Amino acid sequence: MALIDDNALRRELKDIANYIHSLRREIGALQANDLRHKRIPAAGQELAAIVKATEQASNTIMECAEAAMAADPSDPAAYKAFVADRMTVVFEACGFQDITGQRVAKVVEMLEHIEARVSRFAEATGAEDAHGPASDKEALEAERKLRLFIHGPQLDGEGVGQDEIDEIIEDQPASATQTDIDLLFA
Amino acid sequence: MSADASLPILIVDDYKTMIRIIRNLLKQLGFEDVDEAADGSEALTKMRGRKYGLVISDWNMEPMTGYELLKEVRSDPALGSTPFIMVTAESKTENVIAAKKAGVNNYIVKPFNAQTLRSKIDAVFAG
Repeated sequence: MALIDDNALRRELKDIANYIHSLRREIGALQANDLRHKRIPAAGQELAAIVKATEQASNTIMECAEAAMAADPSDPAAYKAFVADRMTVVFEACGFQDITGQRVAKVVEMLEHIEARVSRFAEATGAEDAHGPASDKEALEAERKLRLFIHGPQLDGEGVGQDEIDEIIEDQPASATQTDIDLLFA
Repeated sequence: MSADASLPILIVDDYKTMIRIIRNLLKQLGFEDVDEAADGSEALTKMRGRKYGLVISDWNMEPMTGYELLKEVRSDPALGSTPFIMVTAESKTENVIAAKKAGVNNYIVKPFNAQTLRSKIDAVFAG
């Protein structure tokens, strides 16, 4: 009887050892330090560069528009030349779209890379998600967004358009109906 | 009745680019007396120092959102009657209803154009 128990124990320990070995292999394959120190910061840098480029382009375009609107039209030839010069700068500034498109493609590629590694790890380890927010900070931020109705821009087909907003603003009664209340808590 | 061109207007947005866009659109519509604030708390401070004829505010800002600013304004007897237009990318129905209940005068979803801005300002002052 004791021999059977020893064998069973050995098998259990061997299974645990195999699982630990497998887990170590999967953790290694996840390359978490590579994600943390290289890929995720690189994606962040690309997104920051996109924000900067779009801001610079917007400012350049608006400066040109402001200069054109403020230009003196009393000398038509000079005015035309000035406006044409400013419009050339506008076209040049619009080149940001090509570069930002390439940067977005790099970020998408990085996200796909991260997704593949995390998916493989989750499948190999049978990981299940814990319920609720991952940290107190995340919980506070989620509560703030819920309380202040912060959703950010909606994708095409989501949210309501200006016409529907106008109807709500014009027709919505001042006192809340149950439907209104339900919508607020939906 | 349409808004007087001398109307002092406060734009509240945390993106300088959007402030510049709205400022230029207002200029095209004839409004020259335009001030700006980067979030709700700065706007509130400015509103307590000067009487504005219209506030045009974004929704999603930190630390104080446009929605919180609207509620603060409506609960302050000295500021409560200030016309308030929300200009935001927040386009969920619940946002519009919440803003309406909080006392917003009109609501514009981004992106928008000068004609929409003009019509909403006119609607506020016609109502």
